[in-house]
Amino acid sequence: MGEKIFHKLFLLVVLMNSCTTTNISKYYFDHQPVLDKLHQSYSVQYSHNPFSLEYVDKSFNNISIEIFTDTMKYIYVFQPDEMRLKDTLAKYHLVAGGISELLTGMRAVHCNWINNLDYYVDQTKNSLVFMSIRPMGFHFPFKRKKYYILSYFSQPQYYDKEGRLLDKKRRRKIRKINEDVFKRITDKVAYTISDRYR
Amino acid sequence: MQLLQYRLALHFHRKLVLIASLCFYITIGNAQVTADVTPVSSHEEAIALVSRISSLKPSVVWTNVSPYKFLQNLKENIQRPLDLYEGSNTNFCGYAALSYLPLHDNPVGYIRFMLDLYENGKARYGNVFLNPSDEIKKAAGTLKFKGILDIRPADQMWFLTLADHFKGYVNFFNKHYQPGDENTFWASVNYAKFNRMARKLFNYKVSPRGSDLKHPSIHGLYNYLNKSLQSGITVLYLNNAYLYKKKHNTLRPGIPTHYVILLNIFQPNKNGLITIIYWDYGFRSLRQVSPAFLKKIIFGITHVDKKSANG
Repeated sequence: MGEKIFHKLFLLVVLMNSCTTTNISKYYFDHQPVLDKLHQSYSVQYSHNPFSLEYVDKSFNNISIEIFTDTMKYIYVFQPDEMRLKDTLAKYHLVAGGISELLTGMRAVHCNWINNLDYYVDQTKNSLVFMSIRPMGFHFPFKRKKYYILSYFSQPQYYDKEGRLLDKKRRRKIRKINEDVFKRITDKVAYTISDRYR
Repeated sequence: MQLLQYRLALHFHRKLVLIASLCFYITIGNAQVTADVTPVSSHEEAIALVSRISSLKPSVVWTNVSPYKFLQNLKENIQRPLDLYEGSNTNFCGYAALSYLPLHDNPVGYIRFMLDLYENGKARYGNVFLNPSDEIKKAAGTLKFKGILDIRPADQMWFLTLADHFKGYVNFFNKHYQPGDENTFWASVNYAKFNRMARKLFNYKVSPRGSDLKHPSIHGLYNYLNKSLQSGITVLYLNNAYLYKKKHNTLRPGIPTHYVILLNIFQPNKNGLITIIYWDYGFRSLRQVSPAFLKKIIFGITHVDKKSANG
């Protein structure tokens, strides 16, 4: 009797574990309007003033903003309703409404980091938008928390038969971003599951 | 007889002059050998030096290093030393922080070393003779997916050569480079190794406080750091898991893994926050932190100062 319960529990654990690792494509398509809007809004705002946004805690209460100027990177931590946040955004010519919209969207899809990353192909600089999502489902104690990472490219990418992101079309070398191998969701969007969000 | 005396006198006179000259040159020579000063040069001298080089021949030693990109990289390092980037997810931060020292105090020494290393595959820097292994010579210029480090072959050469030569206890189980080791313990820099490199390569007066495991016991950390900034260069050895949080773990390793150059510090504001400006990852960063947080992340404070003839 005890053995049967153990087997059932074991099966349940395996199933729950496999669900967390295979559902990212489904997650993307379920939340595509919000995620794509986040990407678009961030890209437009970034093109005016480079910055990254982060929810630093599990409860999505405190934010960190990194603002890049020609000479300095400014790193601040705020609570979203703090007056200092608005003053800081105004100081660096960031649009408070746009940032607030981004923060609301990020919280809605549990995105805890959005950033622009540079990468190089044939000595040429390219950029992608990097979004980390903290799945809010069940999490086993003492098991490393995994993050869904989405990368939005500005151009269609090459993938191999297994859907892994390639460096270039001709050289069948797998491209790594942040030391992780990414897989295809669409031509321009790839994902990975990582134990770190940045 | 008078003629003989005159010739003898002339002979002795010449010998005396010769001996005196020899003694003089030996004294000067010894003085040059034993003078314990930190070599320095200006950015203008370094810019003049690299601008005289219009092109380089392909290196027979560094087969994956493009001469054009190598030269361009050296020029960028001299013109914009703060742009130096250790690469994303590598363990080169110790070497990047170390690079800040010659790029600011002796860029000519750095350029000469790099040109020598490029041409001969080995070179002397300060008291150290660096002769990288064949694996390093093959790897330089091939590192990929590291951000802008991908297109900076001179920086790849420099970081890999330093990591290949200097070993600390953290490198004990992985001493020989294999592709991908730039992200592993092979490239790690423990605190004693960092200070040793600063001393041996650049002949600085190095005053470290701290260790790999224990925070330095300093009362009045803000005042100490502020005083340290009054002269020389201040390097901080930090716990990166707190400085750049990457996970939401409740338990984070309480060990330092990151080196930054402290550029400025401002006393606590009305909210009790200290503002620090530091350099790492090719950027100057400004951040406001509480005194408790600063104490929590700092494991080492190294003050390096130039040795001068006056002491």
